[in-house]
Amino acid sequence: MMLEHEGKKLLESAGIRVPKGLVIRPGRTAAERASARMERYPVAAKAQVRSGGRGRQGGIVKAADSAALAAAIEQLFATEFGGARPEAVLVEPWLAIERELYLSVAVDGRADGYVVLYGPRGGIDIEDGPPPARYAVGAAHRFRTHEMREVLKDHEPDYQVREKVIALAQRLTRTAALHDCTTIEINPLAKLGDGDLMAADAKVVRDEWAAFRNRDIAGQLEQAKRRVGRRLRDCLNMQHMYVRLDGDIALVSGGAGMTMAAMDMIAEYGGRPACFLDCSPGPTSTRGYRPAFAMLDADPQVKVILVSVFGGGTQMQRVANSMKEIMAERKSRKPVVFRLDGTNVDQVPAIFSQFGACNHARLEDAVAAAVRLAKGAQ
Amino acid sequence: MSILLDRTNRVLIQGITGQMGTFFVEDARKYGTQIVAGISPGREGARVGDVPVFGSVRAAREATAADTAIVFVPPAAVLGATLEAIESGCRLVVATADELPVQDTIEIRAAAKLHGAAFVGPNTPGLISPGKAKLGFMPSFCYSPGSVGVISRSGSLSYECCKRLTLAGIGQSTVVGIGGDPVKGTTAAEALELFHRDPETSAVLYLGEIGGTEEIFVAEYAARGDAKPVAALIVGHTAPPGKKMGHAAALIDSKAESHAAKVAMLRVAGVHVVGGLSGVVKTMQAALSPNMSAVHGATA
Repeated sequence: MMLEHEGKKLLESAGIRVPKGLVIRPGRTAAERASARMERYPVAAKAQVRSGGRGRQGGIVKAADSAALAAAIEQLFATEFGGARPEAVLVEPWLAIERELYLSVAVDGRADGYVVLYGPRGGIDIEDGPPPARYAVGAAHRFRTHEMREVLKDHEPDYQVREKVIALAQRLTRTAALHDCTTIEINPLAKLGDGDLMAADAKVVRDEWAAFRNRDIAGQLEQAKRRVGRRLRDCLNMQHMYVRLDGDIALVSGGAGMTMAAMDMIAEYGGRPACFLDCSPGPTSTRGYRPAFAMLDADPQVKVILVSVFGGGTQMQRVANSMKEIMAERKSRKPVVFRLDGTNVDQVPAIFSQFGACNHARLEDAVAAAVRLAKGAQ
Repeated sequence: MSILLDRTNRVLIQGITGQMGTFFVEDARKYGTQIVAGISPGREGARVGDVPVFGSVRAAREATAADTAIVFVPPAAVLGATLEAIESGCRLVVATADELPVQDTIEIRAAAKLHGAAFVGPNTPGLISPGKAKLGFMPSFCYSPGSVGVISRSGSLSYECCKRLTLAGIGQSTVVGIGGDPVKGTTAAEALELFHRDPETSAVLYLGEIGGTEEIFVAEYAARGDAKPVAALIVGHTAPPGKKMGHAAALIDSKAESHAAKVAMLRVAGVHVVGGLSGVVKTMQAALSPNMSAVHGATA
């Protein structure tokens, strides 16, 4: 997800009107830098974070003068939104909004491509209001203004607004496809006193798999890696997919579906998963698994590690040999429970016997053992 | 019968000279798949084992009458390779690659529709019609021939569930990995329709997860008067909202995409919802039992 001011820059490059904003980076002089450069008040100070629900958490503050702005900036930089401090604060003129609208373009499997959603009343969580108008576009070049006009007919009575929204939606859909965006949401889309539409907010999510052809996305992924700790960064460099959870049984797993099934089973057996960690997109070798163990061994929340891999393309004798190497070099004494199955699993017992490990035939047995060990460790 | 794949498919492999392609030739042949050609531009005239290598899909089709393609090329080359296979007349194209930009899937799906080809993928192990042929890298020992059609958003989860069915004596007609991405070459709705028309398939097992909208179609199908019995396992009830769980589409972005909402919707539609992995066999048996067909929403 892009920060609001980055998203607005993208919109502006596509000819969409956005407020003239000032981006303030954190630092000792942040408040002074902002108030020195703002001339007209009131202004909006907006926390730049990569999670939703900012407005409800007090992430947008109206400031009537430079003292109020300085205080707002200090306060925003000291607050966590969705677990993270703002990377910047965006200061914009407070808009005289006549009506708030909602407009988004997003990838939707049901549409075989993009859908456009429009609500004549924006500014709120779109799920909390009446269902928005929905135009299933498909591939971006399939956008037809007359089709969207038909969809909007019963949703937007003001024909001037309707036509402006349609033109905007067409531009957004093209922009999304061109820049590999999976979502562009403008909420609110502001109808100003002069009748013009302006993007008062921008939530843009880009497709990280397009990094090979989009330098911005590649750069953003690199930046995201720099924001996390060294051990997690080592895992991300191996393409592991990691989501931290609040339990104590860590998973080293293969395949998103099986990882979630194992998480669910841990809960079913009375345990609590410490993470979702899918190692299958990266190298399923010692090189790939080593950083996973390094991270989990160093995590004080993790009491037990459950290795659960059911491989097709991943061959189990290779995974077993990697485990042998890692167990030999590992210093941590946290217990590890194994359940390998899949291609060449018949070769696993012979390899495991070389370092005294046991491979559970059923996931149920492995999960039960892990839950038992986690309870014993408390 | 089966869907999409049986012994008659004549398969060409795009990217046959790569590691995955070479492994697949041997493994798929052992299973009975007819591998007739490989594609590797610039290496035409070579052979991988006894499989002839061609520079283009058109040349391979002319020489070998290949009608099915499986693509093992890097993500940046998948768009080109799949469009070539589709526009050269292949009736079934499988792309297993994960990390494919969704824009590319949108384009490939549109081309497949235009040319009347079936496209399976991306981000999938492929598909297998047990006892007949396999077109992907799933472990063969997990499967046995039978009458349950399986549709899965997750590869590894489908191996695990099919192995459980096989050990319990429940065979499968075809197992299709529709993949974990938001836009799919073959959707759950399309796979269900194919299984519905397949006389050899008597019931369907759907393996889904949190996030996305695919499960709506499963519920719509199950609610039909003439529907075959459907069992479903939805994983991720312990997944937090707003976080992407590996698969691009496995993200609870709205209330309707949560585990609880999907399970409730499927139950109302008459789907036999599996409580957890351990209940797959029992629930599938219930779905297959004619006496149980009137009992909706059986749990493990």
